[in-house]
Amino acid sequence: MKCLIIIPAFNEEKNIEHVVENLQANYSAYDYVVINDGSSDSTAAICRKRGYSLIDLPVNLGLAGAFQTGLKYAYRKGYDCALQFDADGQHRPEFIASMIEKMQEGYDIVIGSRFVTEKKPGSLRMLGSNLISVATWMTTGKKVKDPTSGMRIFNRKMIGEFALNMNYGPEPDTISYLLKQGATIAEVQVRMDERQAGESYLNLSRSVMYMMRMLLSILLIQNFRKRREVK
Amino acid sequence: MTLVFRLILIAASLLTTYYILKRIRQSKLQIEYAIFWLVFAGILVVFSLFPELIALFTRMMGMQLPVNFIFLFFIFVLMLKLFLTTIELSTLENKVKDLTQEVALLERERQETSIEGGDKPQEP
Repeated sequence: MKCLIIIPAFNEEKNIEHVVENLQANYSAYDYVVINDGSSDSTAAICRKRGYSLIDLPVNLGLAGAFQTGLKYAYRKGYDCALQFDADGQHRPEFIASMIEKMQEGYDIVIGSRFVTEKKPGSLRMLGSNLISVATWMTTGKKVKDPTSGMRIFNRKMIGEFALNMNYGPEPDTISYLLKQGATIAEVQVRMDERQAGESYLNLSRSVMYMMRMLLSILLIQNFRKRREVK
Repeated sequence: MTLVFRLILIAASLLTTYYILKRIRQSKLQIEYAIFWLVFAGILVVFSLFPELIALFTRMMGMQLPVNFIFLFFIFVLMLKLFLTTIELSTLENKVKDLTQEVALLERERQETSIEGGDKPQEP
């Protein structure tokens, strides 16, 4: 099973070295590619100097566009699965193996979830996560315990569908939509670290906007979409 | 307001909503933009079904005529939307410019390396 780790990076000069060095040193069985999303800092320069596998976007596309670039690459190179992996050091590669194992049981998407066996803490951020879980459950009848986890693995069929279609951002609303359409999704317990350095893109007002957008999208818009599967 | 006029308003707002949903269904629209138009269509439907709401808002704002409230409200919302669209358009134009330059510069670099590699210089 050929698996590609896709690492979208936007202004992650403080973290990218640590993340990629760890993958190269301890998890060289997996291929990886850094997608520099038009960073204004030296993320791309560091990758070039260190000889990392890099796709350098000349303009900023946002997470969805950057991740899709990685999926298009995976699709063209014939990878069997693709993993969405954060460049800020939150995700721990030791859980990739168990996620791939789960996917081989026949799932389309496997989410690296913080809350399969462990309880959700009662923070403000987790309130948002809960709201999205409830909205997903209301529209699909299925439970996703950690919909906002950014660590997800996609099989060959999903790679094609995500790579070639519009409105397939790697976000909870797409997950909800695909669930509704009959895609099979599983969750595997993982642990995550705090972001290592630098600033998170999500401040309070952005988080609220993100939540609103996700909820409206899951509750309203996803019901009207027509699916275009990639054969 | 006559009954006929009300019915026309309701029909028009429902048709608008249907049209917007259809375009979303054909995935001709990104979700970010679809959300605005869907909420907008929803407001149209609500206002046409419950004109009492408009009367209420008109009184609350201390205005004389409901029609004034309608004009003020929609002109303001659409003006804001137009302004935001202009900002997005500028960003987009800038990105297209950057991309075009990037492609052209890459092409030039490729030519230069192929000339250095001993190939014949290409005619323009």
